[in-house]
Amino acid sequence: MEVAKRLGHENLGLGLGLRTPHFEYILKNRPKVDWFEIISENFMDSQGRPRHVLDQIAEHYPLVMHGVSLSIGSTDALNFDYLEKLKKLALEIDAKWVSDHLCWTGVAGQNSHDLLPIPLTEESLAHVIERIDVVQDVMERSFVFENPSSYVGFTGSTMSEWEFLSRMTQATGCGLLLDVNNVYVSARNHDFDPEEYIRAIPHDRVVQFHLAGHTDCTTHLIDTHDHPIIAEVWALYRLAHELTGGVSTLLEWDANIPPFEELHAEVLKSKSYLRGEGVQGPVAEWEQEQALKAEGKDKLVAVSPHPLHHSVVEVE
Amino acid sequence: MKMNTEAKETAPDLDRVQRWMQAVITHPDGVLSGADGEAARALIDAGRGNLESVVTRSRSLDAADRLAIYANAYYARLIECVGDVYPVLKRILGDEVFDSFAFDYLQTYPSKRYSLNLLGDSFVDFLRETRPDSEDEQEQSDWADLLINLAILEWIIYEVFDGPGTEKAAMLEMSDVEGIEAQQWLQIALQTPPCLKLVALAYPVNTMYTAVRANEDELEVAYPDAVVSYVAISRRDYIVRRYDLTHPQYELLQVLQAGGTIGAALEACMQVVPDEELDQLLVDVQQWFSLWTAERCFFQAIR
Repeated sequence: MEVAKRLGHENLGLGLGLRTPHFEYILKNRPKVDWFEIISENFMDSQGRPRHVLDQIAEHYPLVMHGVSLSIGSTDALNFDYLEKLKKLALEIDAKWVSDHLCWTGVAGQNSHDLLPIPLTEESLAHVIERIDVVQDVMERSFVFENPSSYVGFTGSTMSEWEFLSRMTQATGCGLLLDVNNVYVSARNHDFDPEEYIRAIPHDRVVQFHLAGHTDCTTHLIDTHDHPIIAEVWALYRLAHELTGGVSTLLEWDANIPPFEELHAEVLKSKSYLRGEGVQGPVAEWEQEQALKAEGKDKLVAVSPHPLHHSVVEVE
Repeated sequence: MKMNTEAKETAPDLDRVQRWMQAVITHPDGVLSGADGEAARALIDAGRGNLESVVTRSRSLDAADRLAIYANAYYARLIECVGDVYPVLKRILGDEVFDSFAFDYLQTYPSKRYSLNLLGDSFVDFLRETRPDSEDEQEQSDWADLLINLAILEWIIYEVFDGPGTEKAAMLEMSDVEGIEAQQWLQIALQTPPCLKLVALAYPVNTMYTAVRANEDELEVAYPDAVVSYVAISRRDYIVRRYDLTHPQYELLQVLQAGGTIGAALEACMQVVPDEELDQLLVDVQQWFSLWTAERCFFQAIR
């Protein structure tokens, strides 16, 4: 199937994940950020302040929707009510594109709210392709899927994740959100070469990059989104940038969130890294302070993958 | 990435793998108990000794350790989310006790919706169902009732925050009220918005809620005795507002919220006011309506 490069989407530049602690700063200062990515589920049902803030931000910035509940790999039926709400929000805020993850979040009616990996088999591939076709029909647009970070592999898997993604995009015309940090995390956890992964995916289908930090637990890595990006991930990003010709790049930071200006400075580092330079910035110093504060914190909570988001109540 | 170069005809199908993995990583006693459990074994009879027939090991971790990453995250993350919905209850109970409640709650009421914002919606029911009710443990039962009342208040606050509001709606203004002729007053109804919630509680937990939030560092809050209290929760300018109500105010608003006329509301209100205070009531009611109208409690007057 012939698909335009980046599915025809423009390169939006360097963006940030929109998070509640930064709402006030963004509304007040209107910082020079190229674009924002929202967690779709935090806004699709909102009739309160989150949606009110989003509508204001949508007037000034390009927005991209990133979901965590589509559960494209689940054997449960697709949730059409969810899809209709997703579509409605995308139209209302003029989302540039809508993405989610190659994963399942639950089965038998239950939702783990985690991004769980699927066995990489012909059966899974056919199942996912069939569902992506339905999703794209309902949404009336091409969907974009992110490679998840994962911590288990399946004995029954018969192909690599990059082969799975390549065949999936080829069959459905969907786009890819290449999370460079996830490639690195999964490479360490599954003992593969991250460069091989990045070289093998279909580069013309990559619509967006994700960058994030992770936690090194020595025996494995966890995708915690609460640290600066490490040099090895920057190097992979540089490679991915070269191979794709550059696509919209977004920094995710979801726990122990730094002040907005420091977060923005972290994503702006990508310009230096693309030139092959390494830089230190305020987030590195902030991270050291956070590490001291975090001493004694429950380790289970501290190393949870991709932290969850939901409404933070404002009450007088 | 380890994989088989040939498709395994014996590999369990996708649905069975997913159901098995969910049973294993959500088991309250951990991955090994999960794998040995009836639910998992009915799907894939692997057990703790044969996990690698389903999940591969890595150079550093065996299959159980790898599955445990998901298992640990499942409860840790969702317990944290439940705590975010009930922050004051969590402070009063302390992290350990609250987390223990939330852990049990998630087993009884696992999430079945895509939205995390609904994760805590059955917590009050869970607390009621698990409330100690033995007469020998009266003090414990009273304490449980206090906590349940606080949870009721916190869930209403949470719902009101992101539910439908009045911010973009045309609300009843004092000028509208003044335009209503006196003889019509008793026959009109005042439509209330869905964000206005009224609750009668067995303990004065709204006061307690305020006190706990005011003490960010130290928790020195006197735990109140059982005294019926009435609270209105609403939202203005996207911020949740709480108002302590008197019993007559509560009765009056309840009738209005149910669609009753002002006349019917006043009648209900008068039922709970001593005879000697009835004259004063008519003066008070005018002040209440001024206050509630300013707080955007009414959409419109329906004649």
